[in-house]
Amino acid sequence: MTNQNKPLSGVRVLELGPYVALPLTGRILASLGAEVIKVETNKVLDEMNFIPAWSRGGGQPEFQRGKKRITIDVRTPDGLEVFKELVKVSDVFITNFRRNILDRWGIDFPELRRLRQDIILMWQTGLGGIGPYYTYKSYGILVQHMGGVSLMSGEEGEPPATINTSYSDYHTGVFQPVAIMGALLRRRLTGQPATMESSIFKSGALTAGPAILDYQSMGRVPQRIGNRDPFAAPHGAYQCQGDDRWCAIAIQTEEQWQSFRQVIGNPDWCSEDAFSTMEFRLANQDRLDTLVGEWAATRTAEDVMTQLQDAGVPASVVSQGQDLYESEHLKARGFYQPTPYYLADRSNPAYEWEQFEGIAAANPPKMSESPMDFGSYSNIGEDNDYVFKEILGMSQAEVDRFTKNQSLY
Amino acid sequence: MSFQAPADGVLLPPYRILDLTGPEGVFCGKLLADYGAEVIKVEPPAGDPARQRPPFIGDEPGLERSSYFLFYNTNKRSVTVDIESPEGQDLFKKLAASADVIIESFSVGYMKYLGLDFDSLKTNNPGLIMASITPFGQTGPWKDYKSTDLISLAASGFMQITGDPDGPPLRQGNEQSHFPGSQHAVTAIMGALLYRDLQDGQGQYIDVSMQEAMITYYTDAHPALAWMQRGENVTRVGTNSTLVIPLGAYPSKDGWISAGIITPREWENLSNWMYEVTGNEEILNDDYKGGNQDRAPYNDIITALVIDFTTRFTSEELFHQGQERNLVFIPVNTVSDLLNDPQLEASNFWFDLDHAEVGTLKYPLGVFDSDEVTPVTKPAPYLGQDNDAIYGDLGLGESELAALRTGGAI
Repeated sequence: MTNQNKPLSGVRVLELGPYVALPLTGRILASLGAEVIKVETNKVLDEMNFIPAWSRGGGQPEFQRGKKRITIDVRTPDGLEVFKELVKVSDVFITNFRRNILDRWGIDFPELRRLRQDIILMWQTGLGGIGPYYTYKSYGILVQHMGGVSLMSGEEGEPPATINTSYSDYHTGVFQPVAIMGALLRRRLTGQPATMESSIFKSGALTAGPAILDYQSMGRVPQRIGNRDPFAAPHGAYQCQGDDRWCAIAIQTEEQWQSFRQVIGNPDWCSEDAFSTMEFRLANQDRLDTLVGEWAATRTAEDVMTQLQDAGVPASVVSQGQDLYESEHLKARGFYQPTPYYLADRSNPAYEWEQFEGIAAANPPKMSESPMDFGSYSNIGEDNDYVFKEILGMSQAEVDRFTKNQSLY
Repeated sequence: MSFQAPADGVLLPPYRILDLTGPEGVFCGKLLADYGAEVIKVEPPAGDPARQRPPFIGDEPGLERSSYFLFYNTNKRSVTVDIESPEGQDLFKKLAASADVIIESFSVGYMKYLGLDFDSLKTNNPGLIMASITPFGQTGPWKDYKSTDLISLAASGFMQITGDPDGPPLRQGNEQSHFPGSQHAVTAIMGALLYRDLQDGQGQYIDVSMQEAMITYYTDAHPALAWMQRGENVTRVGTNSTLVIPLGAYPSKDGWISAGIITPREWENLSNWMYEVTGNEEILNDDYKGGNQDRAPYNDIITALVIDFTTRFTSEELFHQGQERNLVFIPVNTVSDLLNDPQLEASNFWFDLDHAEVGTLKYPLGVFDSDEVTPVTKPAPYLGQDNDAIYGDLGLGESELAALRTGGAI
């Protein structure tokens, strides 16, 4: 008989907080079988409901799938009491509110621990929970700058190149489930709970990488070198036919260089001394890039990639949305899946929002015995009845009263 | 199997994890090792090629001196074994029988070619968990495609949205393809361990595609959804975002400063402050008021006004004075700034690790901070330093080990 359990069957997680990293953590835990209860309020909507602007709410399944979504305004006395009852029946609490705000609401960590002695607390901060900036507000999309990566990205002499996304948030969002699962194992084995604090700043700074050691050793600060590489040439993105179409090529070995020569028809310049070794190719890469670029420019990016990959040379189209959406490879792996979503509207409560169809990515790991669930998708507040009545045992009259006075709203 | 309590102050039980990965998965083992798992780096007798990667500490080449190797292999142990030789394969099978988890990133099919694939290894170890972290995963038409950091950044679409709209797609610094696949793999490995040890489950196989993992690291740009719903391809926007306006990196008096105005209240605070400083009434224009997308039609005008403002301050002034006005200005740091940052200093982020050959250096280990659990603090291992201890525990005697050494298997 197959085991129907999931890795986190029987684990209940209470989630309070907006944006990217924290909801992503909740989604991953839900996909592994935890019952994740997400607390929101119609009064203050997560700004992520409005990003992307052209599909309000279309981005939310990526972060909220698999969760039980309920509305509680924890700033109201009745809402706070209901929230505290949920804490008592939860194994894990995750939040990204700043400590002074949690204190103001009366759900500081000592109080949470008093309500549920063995609860695992994951407190996600922007810049850190202690230290001189602990009260500082921050946004994950900017932490790619603070963590040191943007100053290493971009063309020589140009401004730091930015990736147009909340990049560092994702590191934090995927680190946190690891810490939480470790703490659950540890609690089972030792009986001890844990309070953990993560910061997007720390997650971002970690990705600055070996340059941290090189600076301590030699005082070198990493420079911006565009798409080039200290050890490989040709190495770059080459423009191809079409609108903003590029193919990246990275030749790291002599064998790949020989294959590359064959693919491009072994033109005379390939035999020049200037390109005879990796050392020479690196030294003469301005001209090398021009010549490779001339070859790529007369072809489609798909042609360049396919011809080179067929010969064992690392190459890829610089994927655009169309490439990803239509990718036969991603389709074969079931990566994007259809999902409903609800059109976000600040002037009406979520239960009045109109339903549409969109897509969301599957959780990337494919696990053979306990596959990660894509999960169902609830709208904000859709699971109020289940959570308040079935989990907390509240009466219909009580739920109605607290809904009417906007505590559970 | 090592389902036993973690040591005092350590997060993870001492699970035995065999790490055969290259750059695709090196961070996966590091994260598990930093939090207390027994991660054994399984190296060819000549050493992991990463040991050869410059720059070296002190610019002196040596197998124990690569900054790359030292950074990504903290808290791991090391054994050597030639998994391409029959003697080495036998030895590896013994090792695999003692393991909770194996992580590998070889080309698809290589482990099977060696007879060391999951189905073969699990016969002697039904609780075994094996994770493969590869550029495009184990299935699908691109599974055999060759990749590198640059190619993964291209295939995932990271590069499509990095850089200036008038310039080429750009690579991010420090090989960012190291992180998403490895981090997602750790979530699955942890899940598989909980499934096995707390849910009466068996071992299992985990397939992670770096391309898919990386696509999920810029989800809020929604490239596939934009194509599906609008027939548009999201692209590069330079240093300033189009998701929120204003948001991006701006020049300051002494370098760069980043800023993001997300709520209507923040815009009110910023526009008032800008008016106080510059006296330019244009910034108070009613058209610019509102939520983060309401300023989209005026992006160019607003960016120019913001730059006129930011260039009147140092980056530090904006960082701290911004917070007093509930505004987010964030410094644009390089590695020297990070090493001197008072917040990181106070956050239990840096740990001094003593390495017999390269000395004491500061490493970033503390992704989470806790009074109850802290990272382990051992430096990267010497090549094969744990051969005697680990192979000895498997029951190999001194003469057997000597024979394997002579034969070149270890």
